[in-house]
Amino acid sequence: MAATHVPTTTRDWTRRRAAKRERLAAVQPFVSGRLVDADHMRDALQALLRPGDRVALEGDNQKQADFLAEALAGCDPDAVHDLHLLISSISLRDHLDLFERGVARRLDFAYAGPQSVRMAQLLADGKVEVGAIHTYVELYARMFVDLIPDVALLCAEQADRDGNLYTGPSTEDTPTIAEATAFSDGVTVVQVNELVDELPRVDIPGDWVDLVVRSPRPFALEPLFTRDPRHIGQVEILMAMIALRGIYERHQVTSLNHGIGYDTAAIELLLPTYGEELGLRGKICRHWALNPHPTLIPAIESGWVESVHCFGGEPGTERYVAARPDVFFTGRDGTLRSNRVLCQLAGQYAVDLFIGSSLQIDAAANSSTVTEGRLTGFGGAPNMGHDPHGRRHPSPAWLGLLTGEAPALRGRKLVAQITQTFRTGGTPAFVETLDAITVGKDAEMPIPPIMIYGDDVSHVVTEEGVAYLYRATSLAERREAVAAIAGATPIGRGIDERRVDALRRDGLVALPEDLKVDVRRASRSLLAARSVEDLVAWSGGLYDPPARFRTW
Amino acid sequence: MTRTDWQAMLRRTSFIELNARQRARALLDDGSARELCGPFDRIESPWLEPQGVVPQSDDGVVVMKGALDGDPAVVVAVEQAFQGGGIGEVSGVKMATALSLAARDTRAGTPTPAVLLLETGGVRLQEANLGLAAVAEVCSAILELRALQPVVGVIAGSLGCYGGMSIAAALCTRLIMTEEARLGLNGPEVIESEAGIEEFDASDHPLIWSLDGGRQRVGTGLADTLVLDDVTALRTAVIDAVRAGMPAEQRSRRIKELRAALEAVDPARPPEPAALADVWARAGAKGDGR
Repeated sequence: MAATHVPTTTRDWTRRRAAKRERLAAVQPFVSGRLVDADHMRDALQALLRPGDRVALEGDNQKQADFLAEALAGCDPDAVHDLHLLISSISLRDHLDLFERGVARRLDFAYAGPQSVRMAQLLADGKVEVGAIHTYVELYARMFVDLIPDVALLCAEQADRDGNLYTGPSTEDTPTIAEATAFSDGVTVVQVNELVDELPRVDIPGDWVDLVVRSPRPFALEPLFTRDPRHIGQVEILMAMIALRGIYERHQVTSLNHGIGYDTAAIELLLPTYGEELGLRGKICRHWALNPHPTLIPAIESGWVESVHCFGGEPGTERYVAARPDVFFTGRDGTLRSNRVLCQLAGQYAVDLFIGSSLQIDAAANSSTVTEGRLTGFGGAPNMGHDPHGRRHPSPAWLGLLTGEAPALRGRKLVAQITQTFRTGGTPAFVETLDAITVGKDAEMPIPPIMIYGDDVSHVVTEEGVAYLYRATSLAERREAVAAIAGATPIGRGIDERRVDALRRDGLVALPEDLKVDVRRASRSLLAARSVEDLVAWSGGLYDPPARFRTW
Repeated sequence: MTRTDWQAMLRRTSFIELNARQRARALLDDGSARELCGPFDRIESPWLEPQGVVPQSDDGVVVMKGALDGDPAVVVAVEQAFQGGGIGEVSGVKMATALSLAARDTRAGTPTPAVLLLETGGVRLQEANLGLAAVAEVCSAILELRALQPVVGVIAGSLGCYGGMSIAAALCTRLIMTEEARLGLNGPEVIESEAGIEEFDASDHPLIWSLDGGRQRVGTGLADTLVLDDVTALRTAVIDAVRAGMPAEQRSRRIKELRAALEAVDPARPPEPAALADVWARAGAKGDGR
């Protein structure tokens, strides 16, 4: 019989709770009730934080706890140092100033788009130790497992005197981080734009919230999901026609997620015109996991869309969304309620299709948006862009990609990559070796930072046609199908026409003529909206485009 | 407040969507348009290829002869998609010659007004002094024709009309703009790079349009007619402008008014853009005050 370890001393099981009490006591000089004096935010943080603390700093896809980030970056490195930061999206200068000044040392993150060059530099200089580069969902998941925050610095639109929070339409990640922190005896600090007597609705209950500070300016919010239809050209439109016929129509895709980009914006804008002509309304694209893309407005207005659940909001769409509660998830106050983690879950398990743009695809259909000299991270693309093996519920689209040997049969989520064969400046999108391989080596990552693995990709769309990779029975066949639609890129030149014809016969590849797509019709007149002004018109004046998208 | 007819907005045929050739054709009477010095004549700029720029066989300017509401007219359209609508030696000469020939036809008994579609950043930098000279020739040709027949300028958007060609625009008998159009001597990026972001933030769209936009330019009298971005509306406005004939005094000759406008503004304490129309109206400068 194995020996059982019997503890001889009594363990203290409430150390985190005690630490929290101590921390909150230490900030008392700067606090009245729950409210921190904004002028003393830095002092309050210095009193609150302990060296080595794990701090979740809210930097979402769109909204940023920028006032708290600035206060934290200003902390005295003698008092506050070696913090371990958890930030999903590193987009502010302050985020990296923290490391340069020695306030923070260790970092777990998911995305560093706007700061990706400096990120790579800091890493090379040894200023930052990266725990891991995650995908969004993983980072939040780990906040409940082995990266539990000691302190969370969050943001919301409004708070009341009891600390209840209204996040506004861009709820995004706030409830998730707050939950991970509040229920593990961490301290939650929230910057709000306004203090009010009565909230329009409660997004986060006050007893999850320890401290509130009224920020001197509204938190930063980026319109990441707005694409101006003026920049959509013929090639994007052709690809959208090919995708609609070759994927959406063929597989009866009723529920889906679109990535960000002009390619997918073109698909959204073709639904009320080309899609209508094909008689597909009501048959495809009914349920969406998607931010409120302004380019989806024409499809919503012409009756294509039954429901949209959102990761976050999108600046300018507030009034429009509030006026379409049958379609969007809205609170009792009427405004959008988003939730990034739940939408990610929906995007993984509930939808038939993910389609997104890629910057680079290799011969085996591995794809990446990582380019040399930058450490961008993953964001959420790998979460959306994979086939979740845990899914069991069938749908025609999922069953259509049936795989495995009886009795172990299962369907597949459609994971489509869409790209022109050449990007702007004549850079081929199809390459022998992804830049990600070099970047991974330089950053000493254990495995290359591939965004979407080739074996998860079921379809690749280019202006040449569609590759039905899920039908490939071997890696060699998958490579041939990719090459067949890779145009004049080095990958595409490696296959001869007779072989392409054979792949077409076998259903691994479809060219526009195979899909009855008339290439000549690919023109901007096919777009339901050709400008931001048109989108405003489609919304009946309810869409208020952010200033940078106004050209009048 | 007027309720915008959104359905009508969606039904319109956008003029901005059209390229230079389509724009010129859309203004002229159906079936009457005939291109002069078209792409098949292959009159290209000789200066671009040595600098690694692929030339275009019409050098970015389309000259279209035809009928406008039944009467002869010539339309000259700058293609904004080619080199930012920059005017080079060849494209400038095409425009200047078309205007001179219209003046010659007019003198010979066939009155030929001209319509200039100006989406241009001004002089094409690759052609340096030749481009500058070309713009001067265009200006001189406008002066020649406008003494005989209206020269109507149209800035529809989206590139706008800047640099030397904004001077050409200011010489036009009448100027038609949409709300999306912009007119200014120095472009926003130029001002920002020369004077700093504190002076002018070229990414600030409301600022740009509050100064250079069609609504402001018409409101302050530096342009005449504000129209919806719609083919029919543009064509109607152009026909009306031609029919209006010759003004008693061309805008560019109303020196007293323009001087009064300049004197009414203290550069050290500039008025808010929205207040400029009022400031100028009080000073005796003309605008429709919108």
